[in-house]
Amino acid sequence: MTELVVDVHDLTKVYRVHERSEGLSATLRSVVRRSFREITAVSGISFGVEAGEVVGFLGPNGAGKTTTLKMLSGLLYPTSGEARVIGHVPWRREDGFLRGIALLMGNRTQLVWDIAAADSLRVLQEIYGLPEERYRSTLRELTELLDLGPLLGKPVRNLSLGERMKVEFAAGLIHSPRVAFLDEPTLGLDVSMQSRIRGFVAEHNRRSGTTILLTSHYMDDIVALCKRVIVIHHGHLLYDGPLGELAQRMAPYKVITVTLHDGAGSAFLDELGTVVSREQGVVVLRVPRESVAERTARIVRDLEGSLADISVEDPAIEDVIDRVFAGAAVPPRS
Amino acid sequence: MIGVYRALAVQQIQIMLQYRVATFLYALFSFVRPIIFLAAWLSVAASQGGRLGSFQRSDLAAYYALSILVTHLTTSFDFFEFEWEVRQGRLSPKLLRPLHPLHYAIVNNVLWKVVTAAMVIPVAVLVALTFGARFHVGPIDIVLGTVSVVLGAALSFVFGWVVASAAFWTTRVQALVHFYQRTAFIFAGQIAPLALLPGPLSAIAYALPFGYMLGVPTDILRGAHDVTTSLLLIAAQAVWLLVAAVLYRIVWNAGLREYSAVGA
Repeated sequence: MTELVVDVHDLTKVYRVHERSEGLSATLRSVVRRSFREITAVSGISFGVEAGEVVGFLGPNGAGKTTTLKMLSGLLYPTSGEARVIGHVPWRREDGFLRGIALLMGNRTQLVWDIAAADSLRVLQEIYGLPEERYRSTLRELTELLDLGPLLGKPVRNLSLGERMKVEFAAGLIHSPRVAFLDEPTLGLDVSMQSRIRGFVAEHNRRSGTTILLTSHYMDDIVALCKRVIVIHHGHLLYDGPLGELAQRMAPYKVITVTLHDGAGSAFLDELGTVVSREQGVVVLRVPRESVAERTARIVRDLEGSLADISVEDPAIEDVIDRVFAGAAVPPRS
Repeated sequence: MIGVYRALAVQQIQIMLQYRVATFLYALFSFVRPIIFLAAWLSVAASQGGRLGSFQRSDLAAYYALSILVTHLTTSFDFFEFEWEVRQGRLSPKLLRPLHPLHYAIVNNVLWKVVTAAMVIPVAVLVALTFGARFHVGPIDIVLGTVSVVLGAALSFVFGWVVASAAFWTTRVQALVHFYQRTAFIFAGQIAPLALLPGPLSAIAYALPFGYMLGVPTDILRGAHDVTTSLLLIAAQAVWLLVAAVLYRIVWNAGLREYSAVGA
């Protein structure tokens, strides 16, 4: 069995939040008697990640993704549960653990704003105790993959968001961590830069074998990088498995797209499933999985000469996720 | 670790050079206040025949001229930066590295003091000459005074971090910092040399840690105490430093459990 570099059991994080009603009297009351509310950000999740895997962590805002990543990187203490990352309990923040992990957050910088990125990287070289040869070869590789050449000499505050993100990656990976937690690494980047960052992450994983746990709101990131996804919602783990099976597991329907010849009527399709759209002779139907074969056969048989084309597909991954997060689908627990 | 400190020092010098004016303006704090108090106490002494308790005019001048230097060397300013780091989530990247955040602050602290000493020392000398300071200093006083200044700086630094760690629990550390600084203002030897504080206040000052950050090292450095007294005061500084270090360890470890990296 392959080594589990991330091993999580029943991990729970409950925040205690001060709560106050509106109005002066409530304000005065809260001076002498503060009331608190407990918010469960992560509720008893368990999963494991093998060495070299790239796993997508999916969930809407407030689902508990970032809280989980912060616990796994040792920034937060959990309320209960256990976790081991590269053999260490993260929140003990032991030296060997800190040398073996990285956490990159798309909306936060770890670089010193006022000085050149190259100088920040030199400091990191000393902190991680990287021999000169190893530092140079890692930096050379990161420079090549991220096209960092023109950026390293500039003060970080003068870099664009995309440029800064590239340098953040270099700073986060200069010590060649065994596990990298990437929290929204493409947040706010334009399409072209998103694509470049995706390419970099995939290539870096291929070359170095770094295990990657990635959160992103952009499904393109997940589809491009992750064979496996973990879906979390309201702190609960809803799905853990191959991306390809996500639709099967979480969406009890398929999508049939019917293209009709000009002028052909399509009213009868309304009886075969839920019509999602109907535009210029193209009708998109949502049909229960168990009825797909029978309904497809009926369409082909009954439309005969009116039918120009027909296709049957799993729903788009974005639609599946949207439906789950909107509460339309209640998938089985993994 | 030497390599880490050297790299952090280079980084810090680059930042200080970016903000030259701010760097030197902060250094003003070291000597503005002592000069004001010196002027005030000298006028009080003048109205009392040139003496104030056991202090002659020249002793007051010596005390405040030296306190310019000692204030500069022992001042602690990390609470402001630390609160900002916690609130903005800037502490998180530091916590993710195999280097305690304290090391960044040590380099920052020492470097700022060394660089701006070039500005503070001439002012202290000028004040000593202008106001006719008289020192009763032998080599042993300089040795013991230096040890006491180092201990005072360490004590101020560690206590500063204990106060700063309140940022783990509250987003309004400023209130606590102001309380801490106002208390230090009275009992550290800023408002008056410890020996000139009215009876009970003087006793309280020697029982609290603040005097060991400024008044005690200043007095030892100007040769105000015999060797035995100086050694006893240095021992008291060491005890307070130990207390501060234990307190810091407790507060820091408890604080990390509270850290929610808000917004980070």
